[in-house]
Amino acid sequence: MSRNEIRIAGTGGQGVVTAGRILAEAAILSGGEATHSQVYGPQSRGGASRSDVVIATEPIGFPLADNIDLLIILSAAAYAKYVPDFDPDGQLIIDSRCAPESMNGDAARFAVVDTARAISGGHLVTGVVALGVLQAHTGVVDADVLERAVAARVPTQHRKMNLDALCAGMQLAGG
Amino acid sequence: MSDVQLIQGNEACVRGALAVGCRFYAGYPITPSSEIAEQMVRLLPGIGGVFIQMEDEIASLASIIGASIAGTKAMTATSGPGFSLMQEHIGFATMAEVPCVIVNVMRGGPSTGLPTSPSQGDVMQARWGTHGDHPAIVLAPSSVGEVFDATVRAFNLSERFRTPVIVLYDEIVGHTRESVALPDSVEIVDRIQPNSDGSEFWPKRAAADGVPPMSAFGDGHRFHITGLTHGERGFPTNDPQVAEALITRLHRKVEAHAEEIIEVEVFMMDDAETAIFAYGIVGRSAREAVLRARADGVKVGLIRPLTLWPFPYAQVAEAAKQVDTLVVAEMNLGQLIGEVERAAVGQAEIVGYLRVDGEPITPTALLNVVASVSGGQA
Amino acid sequence: MTDINTYLREWTMPHVLCPGCAHGIVLRSFLEAVDQLQLDPDKLAMVAGIGCSSRLIGHVDFCTLHGTHGRAPAFATGLKLARPELNVVVLTGDGDALAIGGNHMIHAARRNIDITVLMLSNAIYGMTGGQSAPTTPEGAVASTTPAGNTEPMFDSCKLLIGAGASFVARVFAANPLEMTKVMADGITHPGFSFIEVISDCPEYFGRYNNIGGGANMLSWMTVQDEGVAGPLSAKRFVNHVPITVLSPALATGVLEREVRPVFSGIREG
Repeated sequence: MSRNEIRIAGTGGQGVVTAGRILAEAAILSGGEATHSQVYGPQSRGGASRSDVVIATEPIGFPLADNIDLLIILSAAAYAKYVPDFDPDGQLIIDSRCAPESMNGDAARFAVVDTARAISGGHLVTGVVALGVLQAHTGVVDADVLERAVAARVPTQHRKMNLDALCAGMQLAGG
Repeated sequence: MSDVQLIQGNEACVRGALAVGCRFYAGYPITPSSEIAEQMVRLLPGIGGVFIQMEDEIASLASIIGASIAGTKAMTATSGPGFSLMQEHIGFATMAEVPCVIVNVMRGGPSTGLPTSPSQGDVMQARWGTHGDHPAIVLAPSSVGEVFDATVRAFNLSERFRTPVIVLYDEIVGHTRESVALPDSVEIVDRIQPNSDGSEFWPKRAAADGVPPMSAFGDGHRFHITGLTHGERGFPTNDPQVAEALITRLHRKVEAHAEEIIEVEVFMMDDAETAIFAYGIVGRSAREAVLRARADGVKVGLIRPLTLWPFPYAQVAEAAKQVDTLVVAEMNLGQLIGEVERAAVGQAEIVGYLRVDGEPITPTALLNVVASVSGGQA
Repeated sequence: MTDINTYLREWTMPHVLCPGCAHGIVLRSFLEAVDQLQLDPDKLAMVAGIGCSSRLIGHVDFCTLHGTHGRAPAFATGLKLARPELNVVVLTGDGDALAIGGNHMIHAARRNIDITVLMLSNAIYGMTGGQSAPTTPEGAVASTTPAGNTEPMFDSCKLLIGAGASFVARVFAANPLEMTKVMADGITHPGFSFIEVISDCPEYFGRYNNIGGGANMLSWMTVQDEGVAGPLSAKRFVNHVPITVLSPALATGVLEREVRPVFSGIREG
């Protein structure tokens, strides 16, 4: 039985929660089991935001993240909050603006935020760019399934922008 | 079964309610239950149902009691502060014997507390929150799928016993999305109607099982409903014998059917030397901890009640006879642990693992507790 | 015309009211309105809260729901939305409707749900032993205002008009024919109807304020001008009562009548 715990951490407004839902839905489309949890707070925009996804091949016992395997950091605040305690054996993906210069280790750095800004003019598709990076970098879900999950979840009028964002993310990670 | 979907516990609650025939929802916004109202308002009108956002939780429960008296299956949902306001009408519905379902998605308390964090702090309030001696039926699902089942069951038990039923789960179960395939149809129980033989309807004359048949306003029986102590005809009285008969019947109709109401998951208990007693989201952690401990050869099992009230005294007593230690894990400062002690009557050592910081009890934490009480083998 | 007694559950008699209490006159006027309108008793639901007036519903042979203190409009809302063919009448008192139940009352009015509220106002809490109410005039003595009430009173009709009730009226228990007419009017009005009935409480209000018995208390109600009542003040109750603070004059008759959309919940169609 395999269990994969993925945390996407950033700022409200980056689409972190939606990205987590899409990832979990892609896992289900692939025939697996998934859970998705998020942090609820009074702020819809601007506060810390976090999305945890558990993907497994069999029914999931404990539905929350208990030991993160893969951490995606999309804000400096998220870096400060989650990276210091992160399991050294885990996989780390960091937006290149968020990692301090002094940082050691073998974290994968990608220009997620800048790419999202280039596509949307803002932060809205940051989470989806991160999903593209995640896919190409780890192969945790197949690219075509992830694309279907994105198309099914986002509003019709934003579908093209989100698919562009996903594609750009994959390209960032060499996909 | 429907296709596998990724949905929240609160959404599964709505699906269960609609599947079992709920056609009236009244509520007041409160985190972390508001998704239930937001789903209800989208789905109810299309299937002949009615939705209303009331001025507060007192009115919400009053209005679903009114709808139920009109013959419609009805529910409301809330969280701790609203649940406190609902106690008045939980008592009324119990006394007047009006079927209805109340969902409490627990958050940290007391008072406004931790609005977005999980808790199991309302377990005793769900049992004893309203004044006076009264029975209670409280169900505690631990997953999205179980929320669906518990909501269906809550309506069925409510109709079966003419009493309010509470579905109690925490913020994590309410908000976490899980992959689940929901059934297309469910068992539906409806309240027993009185004979239409022309005789006068006495709304509180019970059948042998203690449950009186129930007519609806508008169906041709003109009768009286009151929260005052009353006789079989439904009218107020101070007669001591009538008062005692009513209160004991209200209890008996639930307690005498405890076996029908109580559901407990007993997991890996056959050779267990240690047992974890946990419910709701903590039950999920405990099950995971049991599996991990077993992988290390530790003989530990799980007692997970899906019904909190009536409390499963017999099942806990049986487990207590078998094991050396019963670990009770709750997200409160010790509420059901007292009932476990009453059931165990000294036959096992009872160890509490209690947490009130708004964070969940994790499998790893319980694994450590099991290791320490079972001599460090894990 | 039906024998009015056929609307009663005669076996529940004797009733709970004190000698001299005018609530019985009010009930009679209501039953006359029911009879005039030929309402189907099987489809007539009466919802009450807690208090002397609320207890009256036990005596009438309709579908009767005796709920909790102040919450009758909320019970009635669920009943009406779930079963729109029912005629729903709330019977309440001034403390029930305006103090503990004030919030429910104004929101039911705001929604314009199609129910009728009869508020029997006797300016005191009778059932609990004569405590002051939101309708107790300034200066009046109650068991919790032994030196005279120092709080201003509600003008319930102004409150309900402000809240959006589409039919608002005030009548006097001393005027039974007028009561029946206005009640029939309120019941047939589509939307939320609020009728304040000025009744009396000789046992507490009358006794505490040296006004005398029921007959004396009713006599002041007859002192009224066209359309505008004599002020609900101690001086108009009877002569020479020891209350000096006047309360504002209260208008009588139908004070608001407006046809606007009736609320039926969020439902299809």
